Amino acid sequence: MTTAAADSTPHNPFAKRQSHRERNELVTRWLLRLGTYAVLAAAAAIFAHIFIKGAPIVLSSKAPFINTAFLTKLPETLHIIEDKQGKLYETDPKGSDVIKQQLGNNFRQEKTISYSGGGILGPIIGTTLLVIVCMVVALFLGIATAIYLNEYASHGRFIELVRLAILNLAGVPSVVFGLFGLSVFVLGAPRFVSEPLERSLLVIPLGFTNLSFEGWDTSVLAGGFTLAFVILPVVITACEECLKAVPQGFRETSLALGATKWQTIRKCVLPFALPGILTSSILGIARAAGETAPIMFTAALAFKDKLPWQGESGLMGTLTQSVQALPYHIYTLAARIPQNEYSERAQYGSVFVFLVLVMSLAAASILLRRKLRAKYKW
Amino acid sequence: MDFHYGKKQALHGLNLQIPARKVTAFIGPSGCGKSTLLCCFNRINDRIPGAHVSRGAIRIKGKNIYDDDVDLTQLRNQVGMVFQKSNPFPKTIYENVVYGLRVHGVSKRSVLDEAVERCLRSAALWDELKDRLHDYALGLSGGQQQRLCIARAIASKPDILLMDEPCSALDPLATLKIEELIHTLVKEYTVVIVTHNMQQARRVSDYTAFLYLGKLIEFATTQELFVNPREKQTDAYVRGQFS
Repeated sequence: MTTAAADSTPHNPFAKRQSHRERNELVTRWLLRLGTYAVLAAAAAIFAHIFIKGAPIVLSSKAPFINTAFLTKLPETLHIIEDKQGKLYETDPKGSDVIKQQLGNNFRQEKTISYSGGGILGPIIGTTLLVIVCMVVALFLGIATAIYLNEYASHGRFIELVRLAILNLAGVPSVVFGLFGLSVFVLGAPRFVSEPLERSLLVIPLGFTNLSFEGWDTSVLAGGFTLAFVILPVVITACEECLKAVPQGFRETSLALGATKWQTIRKCVLPFALPGILTSSILGIARAAGETAPIMFTAALAFKDKLPWQGESGLMGTLTQSVQALPYHIYTLAARIPQNEYSERAQYGSVFVFLVLVMSLAAASILLRRKLRAKYKW
Repeated sequence: MDFHYGKKQALHGLNLQIPARKVTAFIGPSGCGKSTLLCCFNRINDRIPGAHVSRGAIRIKGKNIYDDDVDLTQLRNQVGMVFQKSNPFPKTIYENVVYGLRVHGVSKRSVLDEAVERCLRSAALWDELKDRLHDYALGLSGGQQQRLCIARAIASKPDILLMDEPCSALDPLATLKIEELIHTLVKEYTVVIVTHNMQQARRVSDYTAFLYLGKLIEFATTQELFVNPREKQTDAYVRGQFS
């Protein structure tokens, strides 16, 4: 039986049904959405803050639009001289005497602020060198380990244990890595010397020289190796994922064509896994660049007035010199010296430069991935 | 011959002699062990942990290939294989064909060039592809890719060519081409083919082996096996009345 009213609005079999399911749906969607927005907002706030505070120090409105002194000078002590009219002069240690002479009686007072003058060339160079050493070591060890675990090792309890150990390594605090680097690389690694130190752990005479386990001292090499161990878990895991992504069929076919295992890996697995390995490793390396604790004891000094190749042994000694590094420099400026507008300026400038460097690394990895993905597709 | 995957026995007491320069087909329902048997002939299932021949021997050219002094790369050089899924490497057509030669240390350009032409001709691809040898192999059609895989497998002039369901991913026309190809290849190679498709076994093979649950039920000339099978199970299977 149908009434006239029901006829005018025919029964809709797909009409919405009010229920708690719908409400749950809405609540869940908004929770997820808010979570995402919160992350986005935090990231945007950080970037905006650094950009607003840091950009004016590094960039300038006049040609060449970049504060070249900030990027090409070593850090030095900033001298602020005030005359009796309250006028401020900013200068370096050399300039301060000249200005004081010129002012004569007009001189009122002088303030010095450590590390906040000059530029940050030292830390930039130091971080670059550290990252290069770290990248070479981490890629070599990481790829070798991943290939062994994924291609050669037979699956068993031992391999599971190794995997677990690698995962656990990722959870070790970075300061522990720093201490590890201090004892192993700074104080214990082998080097060739004619006269071993007294504290050397072991000396193996080789006739013309000695192999002495006395460490590499506070140096780029020690810091780079330590950083490599910090990111090894990430690199190994990423490498393994990339190797797994190469179809098994390639390996089978290659073996069926009479290739040996290593030939198969070198010609049919690695070339196709390499794009992924490189991109994910670059992201790991961006992280290594920002680590402070591992290099505090192994490579970085709070202040150094020389570039690494200006040491005694020149260019050859670059990797055995200690350096300044950006993250440690930022830490020094922020926590080791009294805060004022001048130190804050140097600090924000450093952070800004550092952020730009890391972001360009990340961008490079994305570009590389795009380019190589298009080339190797199956 | 018996064959195990770890503790699980996959092949039970097989005994057959595969005639040279003929096409032999293995048929049987899924999981009957026909692919396992095929993979024994070039020991490609050595990769699977625990896989081993537990009793008996496989003799190729009079030599038991499971002996300790058999070098796998030499064995696989002389026993080529084409897989179910056509899987050319993401390299050029040229590099795909010469891969087997390169891994055996051949690098002379003239030898490689000659091999590419010979193999592509044998695989009926030369006329289609001779102008684009340096294009990426993945741009080819499915049928072309599978024929390229055949060309790649015969580059080292193997004596035996194993084919694991080479047409199962192809359309009827491409299948037809591969079947024609098998007819010409058999003049130079011993071909062993695994197939789900009984019509195909009938069309391409000279001999057929019917396997069921890891046992060899019947092995005879194709003609005989399909028209006049000795075993009841074979009869039921080839007539599609299997249960």
